Amino acid sequence: MKRLLPILLGAALGLAAATSALAIERGGAMTFARYDDSTVIDPVYADRNPDLWMVTGLYETLLRNGPDGSIVPGLAEGYDVAADGLSIKLKLRDGLKFSDGSALTGADVVFSLDRARNPELGPWAGLLGAVDKVSADGNQVTLSLKNPDLTIVSILATFNTGIMPQAAFEKAAGATDQEKARAFFEAGPVTSGPFTMKSRVQGSSMTFARNPNYWRSGTDGQSLPYLDQVDFVIIPDDATRILKLQAGEVDAAEFIPFARVGELGADPALKMELFPSTRIVYAPINTRETRKDGSKNPLADVKVRQALNYATDKNVLIKLVTFDTGKPMTSLMSAATQLHYGPEPLYPYNPEKAKHLLDEAGLGGGFEVKFTTLAGSADDATLFTALQQMWSPLGVNLKVEQVDNPTRGEKNRSGDFDIHTYGWANDVNDPAQITGWLGYYKQRQAVGTGWNNQEFNTLFEASNVEVDPARRKEEYKQMQEIYAEGAPLLFLFETPFAVAVSKSIEGYVQTPLGANDFSEAWRAK
Amino acid sequence: MPSLSYLLARLLQIIPTFLLVMIFIFLLVRLLPGDPAIAMAEAKATDAQLEQIRHNLGLDQPLPIQFLVFVKNTLTGDLGRSIMLKAPVTEIILDRLPTTIFLALYSVLLAICLAGPLAFLAASRVNGPVDVAIRSVFQVGLSMPVFYIGLVLLTVLAAQLRWFPVGGYGTGFLDNLHHLILPALSVALYTSAIILRNLRASLIEVLDADYVQFARAKGLSRRIVMTRHVLRNALVSTVTLLGLSIGNLMSGTLVTETVFAVPGVGRLMLEAIFARDYPLIQGLTLTFAVLVSVVFLLTDIVQSWLDPRLRQS
Repeated sequence: MKRLLPILLGAALGLAAATSALAIERGGAMTFARYDDSTVIDPVYADRNPDLWMVTGLYETLLRNGPDGSIVPGLAEGYDVAADGLSIKLKLRDGLKFSDGSALTGADVVFSLDRARNPELGPWAGLLGAVDKVSADGNQVTLSLKNPDLTIVSILATFNTGIMPQAAFEKAAGATDQEKARAFFEAGPVTSGPFTMKSRVQGSSMTFARNPNYWRSGTDGQSLPYLDQVDFVIIPDDATRILKLQAGEVDAAEFIPFARVGELGADPALKMELFPSTRIVYAPINTRETRKDGSKNPLADVKVRQALNYATDKNVLIKLVTFDTGKPMTSLMSAATQLHYGPEPLYPYNPEKAKHLLDEAGLGGGFEVKFTTLAGSADDATLFTALQQMWSPLGVNLKVEQVDNPTRGEKNRSGDFDIHTYGWANDVNDPAQITGWLGYYKQRQAVGTGWNNQEFNTLFEASNVEVDPARRKEEYKQMQEIYAEGAPLLFLFETPFAVAVSKSIEGYVQTPLGANDFSEAWRAK
Repeated sequence: MPSLSYLLARLLQIIPTFLLVMIFIFLLVRLLPGDPAIAMAEAKATDAQLEQIRHNLGLDQPLPIQFLVFVKNTLTGDLGRSIMLKAPVTEIILDRLPTTIFLALYSVLLAICLAGPLAFLAASRVNGPVDVAIRSVFQVGLSMPVFYIGLVLLTVLAAQLRWFPVGGYGTGFLDNLHHLILPALSVALYTSAIILRNLRASLIEVLDADYVQFARAKGLSRRIVMTRHVLRNALVSTVTLLGLSIGNLMSGTLVTETVFAVPGVGRLMLEAIFARDYPLIQGLTLTFAVLVSVVFLLTDIVQSWLDPRLRQS
């Protein structure tokens, strides 16, 4: 009996694998229409979404993000955080290889992580700020930390810690690391992820080819990916990208405007995918006592900010802007973020309460607010018009100011605004990034709002060195409650990633962090 | 043909133009709110990180020093490195420029082929039904924005009838002719409408002129009257207009290249502005200035060949 059980189990597993393997077909290519081109797909230098959402297609990380947001093994079989939180040990899988067939070793891991945490290089080094030393002994990798940091585990599943081949990278032409990175990338890099780069025409197209040495296996027991290649074409214009899909010239088109989601969903040849995302659309409110021009700022009063939140009918905005694909915010972070706490939508529409709060603040007579929007953005124009109508019964006279993206950034950083629109998607599968960005004063003056809450700041600092996951969870709960109460934002909505895909393609995923995952995509013939 | 000294004088005029362009573009891009560091690290960087980026890009230097570096580098043919694309500006522009020039020439050629014969047809039957029909059709072309014409062409000819690809760029000359016909046509429809109106008007005027009547009276063949007397005189103002519209075309490619996903310098300029990519914006503006100067120079040469009176002034 003892011997029979494994055989039976094996047979059952084999049968299960065979059934699902029947469904999957290997080989072939798919064409994917993108809104913008990548420049340098390098774990360290990727600084724009079109770059960083492609990195994990080429470079595998030690750990990975599971479909439900949990951390699962990657190149490492697992990880072990020491009891004092001051070191993390990981064991690499046996027989790992890069795309050129060379062995992927502990030395490559040390090289890649040292590069990732070098502040002289890319913008993401700070994520590994707590790391003191990375060392490897055979397949054993050890990270020694200066202070405990629970986020490091998530960072090891983030694109910036993708593993690169030390030997091949160092052979690339160029004097500096940045020049080497570009030369290495342009020449068709040696990779550790599911794909290699086959060819590329800057601004126009790019082709990923299957990496035959990739470590993960598909449901048929053979190595992933299923597709032989993925062709990318760059079509910046939304309407053209959709036409290209409708004409059958491409198999998928990303960033479908929400206004077109219904129409494409009804097309019998297409699937309209709305991938859950960590993307939020919100509006920072200037909370400083005086405006940049020296005048008194009515929005400095928390009651006024709460009133504006109550006076905003989020469901109407969701209908108008996202065509019912979005959902109201329940916290400062999206519900898909770890440690999210938000039992219900923030500030449900309540004009009476808004009126009451304004009266309490002594502003019952009305006041003027400037709303800064992105020029040319139809969504922002809709938001402004809707808010203007929702708020005018309260005597709030909303004025519009239209600017381009860098100007908006400049205004945010110099505090020269009342309220403006903003969007965000997490890059890291951990709440610290969004929480630091939106709420921690010392990082970015709480997304430029000037909101400086001592209790929140102290909790954030404590949570960053917390070793006990349960206590960290509690700290995050408190921070989210304080933030919601303080209302330095107009809490708007979460939106999905809308990608329209041909019915002949299965298994393509855009992760909640935005990464394009083609590793399990396949084409039905 | 125009004299050598005329050509030299025209070439010398280009130098101050360039200097002015350099000063203006250098200052204008820096007057825009926001800078490359902000555009690059949009959202996620801290203020300290921004300072570091600015330092790395040399943006913390005083403006006069930045300008001198820019002038010195430009004179030695070095336009700097693009902040957004992380590659030498010269390399990027040389990579993308042929596409835009191809598209521009293609659309000018289409515009001439469309407008030329139709202008003759219209001018020879002034206010007749053919003339009215031609003018009305082109009036519509003139009043529609290029991106709209483009989208209509894309929807009907590419997505529905599938005669042409929906945007993008081909490989090889013939494939490019096929890929770029819709963007070229949508620009050409607009340009040809302008040329047609102008050419028709000058043809009517010239056809009525005394010297044409005289040429006819002296028994010259219709062909010789048309080519030597009518066309040559009527073309003078049309050539000016064509030169100007090629200049406009360069800015028009901004829109066309985006709608049709053509990887040329027009679309690049748009991206560079949104990224506040100073070196790339400067490099592209200089390139546009060179192109427009060359086109205007050619226009002048053609004109002085058409109209000898211009050579003396």
